[in-house]
Amino acid sequence: MTTKPKGYRELLDEVIDAGLCTLCGACVGACPYLVAYKGRIVLLDNCNLAEGQCYLYCPRTYVDMDAISQKTFGLPYTGDELGTMREVLMARSTDAGTRERAQYGGTVTTLLSVALAEGLVDAAVVSKDSEDRVPVPYVARSEEEVLDCAGSNYMACPVLEALNRVPRQSEERLALVATPCQCLAVAKMKLNSPENRVDIGNLKLTVGLFCTWALSPDGFHRFLRENLDLPQVLRFDIPPPPAERFDAYTASGRTSFPLKQVRQFVMSTCALCLDMTAEFADVSVGSVEGIEGWNTVVVRTEAGAEVMERARASGKLETAALPSENLAHLKEAALLKKVRALKQIAGRTGSRSDLLYLGLPAGVVDRLLA
Amino acid sequence: MANIDIDAPGTRQLFIGNEAIARGALEAGVGFAAAYPGTPSSEILDSLASVADRAGIYAQWSVNEKVALEAAAGASFAGIRAMASMKQNGVNVVSDFLVNLVMTGSGTGGLVLVGCDDPSAISSSNEQDTRPIAKWFDIPLLEPGSFQECKDMTKWLFDLSEELGTICMLRSVTRIAHARGVVKLGELPKAQRRAFFDQVHDARSVMPTRFMPVPSSLRHALAHVKLQNAREKFESSPFNWYVGPDRADLLIITGGSCWLYSLEAVRALGLEDRVGILKLGTLWPLPEKLVEGHLGRSQRVLVVEEIDPFLERSVMEVAAALPPDSPRPVFYGKRSGHINAYGELNPDAVGKATAAVLSLEYQTRDVEYGKKANELAGANVPQRMMTFCPGCAHRATFWAIKNALKLDGRQGIVTGDIGCYSMALGPAGFFQVRTMHCMGGGIGVANGLGKLAQFGFDQPVLAVCGDSTFFHAAIPALINGVYNEANFILVVLDNSATAMTGFQPHPGTGVTATGQETGAVSIEAICRALGVDVAVCDPFDLAGTTSTVLEMMADGGRARVVIMRRECELVRSHREKTKPYTVRVDPDICVGETCGCARLCTRVFRCPGLIWDEEAGKARIDEVICTGCGVCADICPQGAITKEAT
Repeated sequence: MTTKPKGYRELLDEVIDAGLCTLCGACVGACPYLVAYKGRIVLLDNCNLAEGQCYLYCPRTYVDMDAISQKTFGLPYTGDELGTMREVLMARSTDAGTRERAQYGGTVTTLLSVALAEGLVDAAVVSKDSEDRVPVPYVARSEEEVLDCAGSNYMACPVLEALNRVPRQSEERLALVATPCQCLAVAKMKLNSPENRVDIGNLKLTVGLFCTWALSPDGFHRFLRENLDLPQVLRFDIPPPPAERFDAYTASGRTSFPLKQVRQFVMSTCALCLDMTAEFADVSVGSVEGIEGWNTVVVRTEAGAEVMERARASGKLETAALPSENLAHLKEAALLKKVRALKQIAGRTGSRSDLLYLGLPAGVVDRLLA
Repeated sequence: MANIDIDAPGTRQLFIGNEAIARGALEAGVGFAAAYPGTPSSEILDSLASVADRAGIYAQWSVNEKVALEAAAGASFAGIRAMASMKQNGVNVVSDFLVNLVMTGSGTGGLVLVGCDDPSAISSSNEQDTRPIAKWFDIPLLEPGSFQECKDMTKWLFDLSEELGTICMLRSVTRIAHARGVVKLGELPKAQRRAFFDQVHDARSVMPTRFMPVPSSLRHALAHVKLQNAREKFESSPFNWYVGPDRADLLIITGGSCWLYSLEAVRALGLEDRVGILKLGTLWPLPEKLVEGHLGRSQRVLVVEEIDPFLERSVMEVAAALPPDSPRPVFYGKRSGHINAYGELNPDAVGKATAAVLSLEYQTRDVEYGKKANELAGANVPQRMMTFCPGCAHRATFWAIKNALKLDGRQGIVTGDIGCYSMALGPAGFFQVRTMHCMGGGIGVANGLGKLAQFGFDQPVLAVCGDSTFFHAAIPALINGVYNEANFILVVLDNSATAMTGFQPHPGTGVTATGQETGAVSIEAICRALGVDVAVCDPFDLAGTTSTVLEMMADGGRARVVIMRRECELVRSHREKTKPYTVRVDPDICVGETCGCARLCTRVFRCPGLIWDEEAGKARIDEVICTGCGVCADICPQGAITKEAT
């Protein structure tokens, strides 16, 4: 725990200049000093405050994982591979068109559509591809807009900037689609309500995305520009192992790059992340290895369960049991990410009791590194 | 401004030094006056231009001082009395023409150069003493010590110039140029001469009357002869005098503004019986016999002058040449450390030096009173930093530049120039400018930085210059950038005025010094003629301006220009007398110094129209100072500032 006030200066020293920034966007869009631009966090002027919300909500400054877990679930943080969950299953959109346009089973798109249609939320904060495939934060307010934002991009996008920019006095109920680091930042915001911003209580539904790593939007986008006619690209995909490919689909076919070539653009900070399945979302969504056209879904909270139920009841989403083999693989992969990350962090600090930004119960650390 | 052409000889008028100089030129029958605005000289041409039509003379704002002096010389060559006036930097700009002009000689029309220096650089980039140029270039030099002398010396110099056939110089400083004093008027001439370039042999020249500096050494020797003639006149000039006892404990030798400071200091110390003052008005060539004569009055000589030890060295040269058995005084001044060789002087400084030389204690006011005065001043005088006016387009321009440079992220450099926008060195322009030298210096330096790619240089280069500066000096450097393919962006801050010096017109404004309409010269047309990409932005469109600059920096390549065009707010509001918007801060929305704002408008943007209400913890608009430009409404992060069209 820290008692010394920390603000933008420490954010720059400890996170941004230290290479820990995930470009989640939690620190930008809430004040005139920090903005995100072309894959960088930019300081436009010096703020003069010793203590800042930019530091407080950053997912790479101190996180008391137990406190977050208690706030989100009313349960301690156990370090279980997939985090706290009620149910894990498979799901997909019943509409072939949606599945075509979206990623795998189109579950995220469907959940958002249902949430909007049934009045659970008024708007969804998501990432959207611009015409040249740079992902930008976006607030979608209709099912058409949501469909327009479908598809995985694999590049980091400061989506939380759009959340921060929602007008202070807005009463719109919001949904959010977020990567694990973004979910963590939001969880921090729920623990300590932000000031001078929209009420965090307006955020009714967080849909988390499974994530192994994210690509640097600046470097990787340049790579794509040099090798593809980007406006022609319809969607991207990284098929499961042993494919070892990064695919780009156009109307005329598929262009593939060796995954090894793409890995050089992985953000270095991702090696320090323990969360593969967005453990602090209401419901987390990913692919199903070996079963095309379906999503793995982890339901975690009441809000997550409700939207899943409504989606099923509406007929827009079909579900099925996740084969035990797939569940085992998923748990293995998630555990591997935790262990690798912990080893990286401890290797950097030289000690198990200094885990940089992570506040983990000692028992959890020992168990994972045993 | 006073009426300088009042036809009332013998009456007394209140003039600033510059008006008195202008009046002196009028009384001398000046026909042609040219200048470039420059503090503290601008009012000389300003006042001549205001009466030019009815006085039957010609007054011109030239694009720069070089052309101004060349034009004045042209008039002199055709027999018309002419004058060019400028600040110290202008004297630097004219130096090449000037040195050659001394060699060619002036024409049958007397030619006077007025140089106004700015000790302590109150309104200048540098502090510089121009007197030494008279010694360097062989020019007769006078300096007025009073407002009357401003007029009388200027008038006399035209006669001297015609008699000697050479340009003569009057040097003044801010405290004479801009202070007001009583001047007794003389007669105004009835008619102007006829202009004619006489190509007949002139007996005073060794060659037929063609104005050329060759044969050089011969011309040089002739210039020295002219100086010797001037020296002989100076020996008995009414512009030099002595006050004080026959034999003094201390002789002060001084001139210019320091004459009045010295007089005041000696009186304040009550030393009129012990300290004599030799006031010199004819500074170069030094009237050596006169000075020698006075040197015998005292064992101690204190030379009081601002900035360079010009007089001090000239007097010491005289002393060095004295016969061996002459009494040699001890010299005090800059060499001895009694007078600073930099900065303005004042009666207090002169008093301190005088007391020190005479080993007297010096105290002009009670210590307790002094402390109390300082405390009260500190408590009651609000902090006022040097900044742009409320509504000034430069504030918006530098805001956009600051953001563009930060977003670009390559540590881009802004090279600066001379004008109101020079203040962008400081908080007014968010500390954006990195270099500042002289007119056109910014784009010159950018030409160098823009050719360093082969050495691994990758920082974007922005050169800023004003519209008047563009015409004065930037064009050749821009051509250089095109011809030598230098990678920089010239940002022309076009506010349709030579603002810093008093909103004088320039070629881009379409109006002359005497108010006549003329064809306006287009900056973008010149740039396009050079084949340079030009963009024009309205600095009040912050988002558009920022992205234009960002894109230009990203593109790279050769020299490009972006013109930031919006009229100077003082000029606009003086003419239109309106405020475009009513601007308000909503205290319910303003979050002041808390996270999410941290006083952006009053701490960083700092337009004088915005007030920080410490008690309420909110920003407020000062309705008197706010000009209603509405730019602050666009930067408030919470949307607390609103602007309503009036």
